[in-house]
Order: sequence, then C-alpha cells, then structure tokens
Amino acid sequence: MRRAIAIGVLTALTSFGAAADTYPQRPITMIVPFAAGGPTDVVARIVAEPMSRSLGQQVVVENVTGAGGTTGITRGAQAAPDGYTIMVGHMGTHGAAPALFKGLKYDPATSFEPIGFLGGVPILIVAKKDFPAKDFKGFIEAVKAGGPKINQAHAGVGSVSHSTGVLFDAQVGIKPTLVTYRGTGPAMNDLMAGQVDFMADQIVNVGPQVAGGTVKAYAIATPERAPSLPDVPTTKEAGLPGYEVSAWNAVFAPKGLPADVKAKLVAAVEAALNDPTATKRLTELGSNIPKADERGPAALQKLVESEVARWTPVLRSAVESNQ
Amino acid sequence: MSEPVGGSGARGFVRGPQSFVAGLGLIALALFAIWAGDDLARGTLGAIGPGLMPFWLAIGVGLCGAALCVAGLLRAGAPLQGMPLRGPVVVLLAIVLFAVTIRPFAFGSVTTPGLGLAVAGPLAVLVAGYASPEARLSELLILGLLLTAGCMLLFGDLLNLPIPMLPTALIQALSGTIPSRTLLRIAAGILALFGLGLLLLNRRSAKREPIDVAQHSLTT
Amino acid sequence: MTDLLSNLGLGFAVALSLQNVALCFLGCLVGTLIGVLPGVGPIATIAMLLPITFGLDPVGALIMLAGIYYGAQYGGSTTAILVNIPGEATSVVTTLDGHQMARQGRGGIALGTAAIASFFAGTVATVLIAALGAPLTRLALIFGPAEYFALMVMGLAFAVVLAHGSVLKAVAMILVGILLSSVGTDLETGQERMTFGFAFLTDGVDFSVLAMGLFGIAEILRNLDQSETRDVVRAQIGRLLPGVAELKQATPATLRGTAIGAILGILPGNGAVLGPFASYTIEKKIARDPSRFGRGAIEGVAGPESANNAGAQTAFIPLLTLGIPPNAVMALMVGAMTIHGIVPGPGVMTKNPNLFWGMIASMWIGNLMLLVINLPLVGLWVRLLKVPYRLMFPAILMFCSVGIYSIGSQPTDVMLIGVFGLMGYLLIKFGFEPAPLLLGFVLGKLMEEYLRRSLTLSRGDLMIFLERPISAVLFVIAFAIIAAALLPSMRKSRDEVFTEA
Repeated sequence: MRRAIAIGVLTALTSFGAAADTYPQRPITMIVPFAAGGPTDVVARIVAEPMSRSLGQQVVVENVTGAGGTTGITRGAQAAPDGYTIMVGHMGTHGAAPALFKGLKYDPATSFEPIGFLGGVPILIVAKKDFPAKDFKGFIEAVKAGGPKINQAHAGVGSVSHSTGVLFDAQVGIKPTLVTYRGTGPAMNDLMAGQVDFMADQIVNVGPQVAGGTVKAYAIATPERAPSLPDVPTTKEAGLPGYEVSAWNAVFAPKGLPADVKAKLVAAVEAALNDPTATKRLTELGSNIPKADERGPAALQKLVESEVARWTPVLRSAVESNQ
Repeated sequence: MSEPVGGSGARGFVRGPQSFVAGLGLIALALFAIWAGDDLARGTLGAIGPGLMPFWLAIGVGLCGAALCVAGLLRAGAPLQGMPLRGPVVVLLAIVLFAVTIRPFAFGSVTTPGLGLAVAGPLAVLVAGYASPEARLSELLILGLLLTAGCMLLFGDLLNLPIPMLPTALIQALSGTIPSRTLLRIAAGILALFGLGLLLLNRRSAKREPIDVAQHSLTT
Repeated sequence: MTDLLSNLGLGFAVALSLQNVALCFLGCLVGTLIGVLPGVGPIATIAMLLPITFGLDPVGALIMLAGIYYGAQYGGSTTAILVNIPGEATSVVTTLDGHQMARQGRGGIALGTAAIASFFAGTVATVLIAALGAPLTRLALIFGPAEYFALMVMGLAFAVVLAHGSVLKAVAMILVGILLSSVGTDLETGQERMTFGFAFLTDGVDFSVLAMGLFGIAEILRNLDQSETRDVVRAQIGRLLPGVAELKQATPATLRGTAIGAILGILPGNGAVLGPFASYTIEKKIARDPSRFGRGAIEGVAGPESANNAGAQTAFIPLLTLGIPPNAVMALMVGAMTIHGIVPGPGVMTKNPNLFWGMIASMWIGNLMLLVINLPLVGLWVRLLKVPYRLMFPAILMFCSVGIYSIGSQPTDVMLIGVFGLMGYLLIKFGFEPAPLLLGFVLGKLMEEYLRRSLTLSRGDLMIFLERPISAVLFVIAFAIIAAALLPSMRKSRDEVFTEA
C-alpha cells in the first residue's frame, strides 16, 4: 500500500516530464525524524544552511516525529527518489531500529542511497556527583558489586542513552535496575539530585553539567579525549577499550536516486563539512567532524551495516528481558 | 463492575435515561479497553508492566459507568437529547476531505493526489459551510478563497511552515520556470483575485442570488 | 540587593538596544498571531524561525524566540475566550469562565482582564527570576519521582473540583482521560498499547489534536444543532475594557494566581501545567458563591491567566540555571541556544551574563509590549464575534485543520480532530464535561511515568509516597480536596453523589 504512493508519485513525475536537466530546481525537503531543537535537529539545521548555498536551492528541514524516528525515515524511504526529499538518519533509525521495531517498513542497509556521514556526538558515562568511585575502574567495580541495587537512568527505549547504556551493561556484564525517563532532561535532573546512580549520554546533553560539577564523568567513549572536557579519560585509556560509541548522524536519500543527482547531494554534504561556520558550530555542539576516510557514500554504507550488526543482538536481549 | 443491569428489559424503569445510557456507554468503553489491553503484561509493583494502568483505569471507568446506570434507574433525570445528523456528518466530511487532499494519502491501493492548501482549504470551507442550513454558495466560495490566500501567504511565505501549498503536479510542471516563492505568491494572488471578484459581483447584483440550499447540500 | 540592581541594569542595557527592542516586538507580534490561530503552536513556529535567527547575535535571537513563546500564551487566551478552543494545556481553564463571559457579551472585559492579569504576573515573575532564580533551583532538586507523582495526584484532585456538574461524571471523565493518555508506545518496554496496529497511534494522541477536537470541533457541532439561536455571541457587546469594580474583583485572584503559577513553574517536571488548574480550584473554593464559577466569573479568568503567565516565565529558571528544559518549547530553546553556541547549564549565568540578564529584562519589556499590542486589539477581536456563525465556523474549521497539520505533517492527525470532535459532541449530549478529560489526559501520562519510576526506585514499596515528607503532604492535600468536594453532597443525601449535571 505504501508502494502505491511511490508509484503514484513516480507516474506523476514522469508524466509531467521531470526533465531534471539542472537539479535542483525547487526547494529540497530534508526530513528530520525528531522534534525540532534536539541534537539531530540542530545538526541537520547547521548542515542545511551551507547545503542550500552550494545547491542554489533552499534545503527546508521538516520535522516528522514519532516512533523513535522511524516514522519520518519511513516516509523518507517511500518518497520519490528525485533528490527533492532527503533525510537525516542517526544511530537509532539506521542502527538500533531493526532490533527495536518489529514491523519496520525499511531496511537501513538496502532502502536508501547513503549520501554522507555528518559525524558523531561522543557518549559519556556520567554518575551522580557523590558516587564514591574515584576512577572508571573503581566505577566498574562498584556497579558490578552493586548488582540490581544500582539505578541506571535512560531516556526511553530506543533513545541514544538507552542503546548506549545497555551496550555498556552488556560489555561490563552487569544488570542494574533501569529507570526510564521521557527524554534526557528529566533523567539529568534526577541524576543531579542523586535519585539515580549513573547513565550514558551524549556530550551535548551532559557536558555543561560535568563542567559545572553537578554530575561526575568517568569516561568518554571515543578514541580521543574531548577538547571541552580534557580531564575525562577515554574508555580505552580507562580500561574498557571495546566500548566506543557515538550518536552519529548522516544524510540519506530514497533508493533509486539518479546518479547525477546523488553526486550533487554528496558534493553538497562534503561542502557543508568543509564550511568553516558549520564546522565551528558542530564542534561547539560536541560533534566530531568526520575524517576523510569516514566521508562519502561508501563509508556510510559500511557504517550502517556494521551498526545494525552491532546493535541487534544487544538490544534484542535487553528488550526481551524487559518485557 | 458487573451490576446486572437489565438492558432493554429495564427500560420502563429508567427514570434518568441520560445517565443510564451514559453509564452503559462507559461500561462498553471499559470492556473495550480491557479487551484492547489484554495482550499487555501487568507486571508487579516493583516492575509495573505496560498493562497495569490501562487495566485498572478501565475497571474504574466501568465502575463509574455502573454507578451512573444505577443512578439512572433510581433517580429522575434528564431525558436523552435529539441528535441531528447533518452537522456532524458534513463537518466530518469536510475534515476528511482536507486531510486527504493536503498531501498524497493512500487508501489501500488508491492514492489521492496531493493538491496542497490551495485546493484543500477552499474545499474544506465550502463543504463545512453546508453543515449549516443557512449556507450560501457564493459567500462560502469568497470566504474559502480569501482565507486560503491569506493562509498561504501567512504560513507559506511569512512563517515558512512546511505545509504543501500547491498541487504536486503543478509544482513539478512549472519546476524550473518560476521560483517557488514567486509561484506561491502568484497562486495566492490569483485565489485572492477570484475571491475579491466574486465579492464584487455579489455586491453588484442587487438582489441576492436565490440559492436553494437543498440543491447544493451534500447531505440528504 | 545592589547585585540585583546592577544585574538588572546590565540586563536592561542589553535588552533596550534598538535591535533587541525591535526583535522583542517582532517576537511578541508573531507570538500573538500564532497564539490566536487555533492549532498553530509556538513549537512549530519557533522551529521554523530557528534558521532565520542564524544571522542574528544569540541574545537578540533568544529574545525574539522567547517573545514568540510568551506572546503565544497571550494569544492563546484570546482564542480560548472567543471561540472556546484552548491552544495549550494551560489555557483549558480559561475557556471555562472566559468563554462564558464572551457569550454574555463581556468578551472585552474577559480579554482585558486576561491581558492585565498576565502583565502583572509577568512583571512579578521577572523580578522573581532576577532575585531568586539561582537559589530557587534547589527546589527543583528536592522533587524526585515520588513528589511529582503526589503533585500529579493533587492535580487530578483539582480536576474534580473543576467540574461544575456531577462529581461522578467528572471522575469518569478524568479516568477516561488518563486511559486515553496510555494509548501509544509504552515508555519503559517500547511495547505498543491499544494502538490496534495503526501507525499514527504509536506515539499516542497529541494534546493539540485532542483539545482541538474536544473543544473546537465539538463546539462547532453543538452550536450547529442549536438550530435558530446558534450565534455564539448575540448578546449586547458591553464595555471593551474592565472597569474599576471589575479590576478590584480580579486583583486578589491575580495575586494568588501569580504566586501559585510562579512556584509551580520552577519545577522542571512541567509543573507549570498545574498552575492554572490550581489557581482556579483555589478561587472556586474560597469564593463566597462558588456556583458563579463556570458561568462567567471574572476571578476564573484573572487567577488562571496570571498563573499561566507567571509559570510560563519562571519555567525559564530551570532552563537557564540547570540547563533542564521543563517542556517542549523550552527544549526548543535549548536547541536555539546550542545552535548559537551557548550550551545551557549551570554556567550560563556566569559565562554569559549578557544573555542571562538581557533575556530576563527583555521578558518584562516583552510583557509591556504585549499589553500595548493586545489592549487595542481587544476591540478588533470582539468585533470578530459579530461575524455570522455560518461563516465563522468554516473558518475555524479550516484554521484548526491547517494548524494541526502544521504540527506533525500528518493527515491522520487532521482526521483525528474529527473523531475527537464527534466524541466531544457525544459527551456534551450525555452531560459530561470535556475539561476534566483533558486534564486527566495531560496529567495521566506524567502520573503513570512518575508512579512507575518511583516504584522502580523503591523496588515496589508503596511506602515511598508517605516516607518522603513533601510527597506525604501533597497526598494529604489531595485527599482533603477530594473529601471537600465529596462531603457536602454526601451530607445532603447519599444519592447526591449521582447528581445530574
């Protein structure tokens, strides 16, 4: 039934002679599957601006929210592959979603034309400020010893803090009590008040609290330390090298995009990542700027495949034990 | 919640029909909710499952319903109110028409074309107007055209909200010839001109056009 | 004290620059506009205007966005009073007496009272934020899940008092509201609840969709079947602005409303939604003649409106000092700040004093502007009521549809307002009131979350609600409110609980 939309739009397209000799000729819709103002939305809007400039048409962000971002991505996957609808997917929609949503109407690896990686936001392991452990090693020992007495906060099933948090639990081998919040804000509030013991979340959400001393950061799950929090060791340095995750964002287009259109979009994303204002804003946000080997469609395709493979077993078992 | 209410057999004894029927409605809602949430685990107090709250809420609704039924049997109360069909049917039709024309919408294998606000707006106003027996075609057309033109400029041009404004086919046909902003303004201008033209015509003709409401009405 | 003055001085110096005053005015104007239009909320508008603010300096951008936010609150009350459509949870209460006043030809007085009460509350809240912002944040941290659960229960107790008809029917509506709020994906397990496999129900029902249906569309349907006298306001339109006597009557309510709203607004768990309800309940309880409420009591407009506006402003406290957004609009403000390279959190006040104090000062300037924008508009709005209803309702219907569509770009949401409209119409026909249902819906979702969270933390021990002093006190208050609502009717006769509406 959904295919009918695509076919309908396609016929309409061909019958009206979409002789796209010079793409783009009208504004491009960029679907952001999350609410405006969230980390992914902010990244999308920062990138949309230089993209508009290099494409010569406005890239309009449209927030289509729902079901952990899969509503918007489903709509994007079913849109006409004419380059006028693109979308920003992230770790959840193109990595965790297949494990979490049974009736998912798209396949992260095959339903899209990958356009470009936009970088990742590092994940930090943070605990309440009076958590006794001195360093990351001590922290891991403490949560192991605490067992189910330890309370771990997360921002709802399918959220970044949930996925990365249960991955941490699986790698350390612990089963703390999971406390669910609607969004990072309330979870952070209770972490600051000491109602819960720890959580994993993006640097953009927890960074200012760590800097302000209201919560304690034990480790950052990236290969290098963050410039804004130079005292926080990486997981590799602190003794959990396998735990490297980031909340990444990337641009996708529906499958079947004409090659010339795809090339223009890839170039526009590339230009955005080289734009000094955009990179400055992304860096301020805590997002890493993709390195040369992480850019381009092929690298993104590889990333999506590896992420689906990585999240599926961890999340399946976490969700099943919860139900 | 299982008050053995005698259904139709007790009708003669019902002294407050409004309460009685309202109570029955609540009981039906409660049963429906219990059925709908039947597949959900209720869990324990320490780990409340997703089904616990809906279940007990439904029980609560059912109890309220039962109490209302009893009240309806025991106490004299308001009678049932009449329910004219024209208003609800036409208003709902207008809303559905707006929903399916604003952007492509799929019913099974049939997909409506996305016509945008330029068509959906006047259509909704026109159809909705006939929910009232006083509807006049010309008046509604003027209203629909002018309001839509205003909305297109306000939402599309000024606030930049991503609402489809024009039919998808039209945008694609004209793609490349006119910048989309200009196209939007031209379209809004045309709608407004038509609206104002009709308004003038209407003012000119001294006697009001004798529009027979029944002929144009979309209900019976 | 000198600190406060010098800080406010800095703030006004920033906010009174020509550019910032202009941006503040623009924000207030756009906010009023979108607030008046049913359905189009500040969330969609701020989201769309975010990129436009890229070019501005962060202080100016945030001043404008904040202006849209509280401008929309002002505008929202206008719609609530004139056409009985609450644009947001906080203006549900305003419809109760405000719209009644409009029906009696006192629409101008209601609008004027709302504007003046809001301005007063805004002024007090500005001073409060400036003076006590930082220490007050501690209040936010003593509220854990158990306290919030108790607060929500207290809120639902208010809802019982809110109804002016049968208590039993009000309780039933609250329960139905909570039941409705449980539709959608379960937060803890990710399982779908009562969605019947419909994709558009996976995220539950949106508040605006429900409010627009139950109030907006149902009101249209109801007016349509009152065959001949269907015009909303045929009564003589009286004075446009409240007189001295009316203001005198409204003043105590405004004072109480401001205090209640300001305190609840500080709580990061979206306590601000409770402000207007709490204020209304208190006004009704202490009034000499509670039966006036729901029939056009001016205190029923002044109290909740001031609570609403005070709460809207103090909601900035957790955002600016803790970096925790208490509601969706504030979350958007976080986005706006991060886009401009300011990460909200404990450091904002010391690192960006220009921004912090500039915004606070601009709030007061914005409130003044809103008063200036809105008072002259009252005449215009009241004249709008003279438009024949046969033209008014198709226009309302179209605005509702466009507004709802603009929220999530979902045609199914538009269809849902029709479904809820029909439901609201049936409820009215059977003597139920929609306001308690809406309150149950708003609080129900939060209540279930907090209940489950508290019990997860206490490992299933219910005593957590009584062991924690604040939570225990709130429960006692809730119990007292319910008892007070039930007892008088109990005493009269046992059947009185089943009183007809």
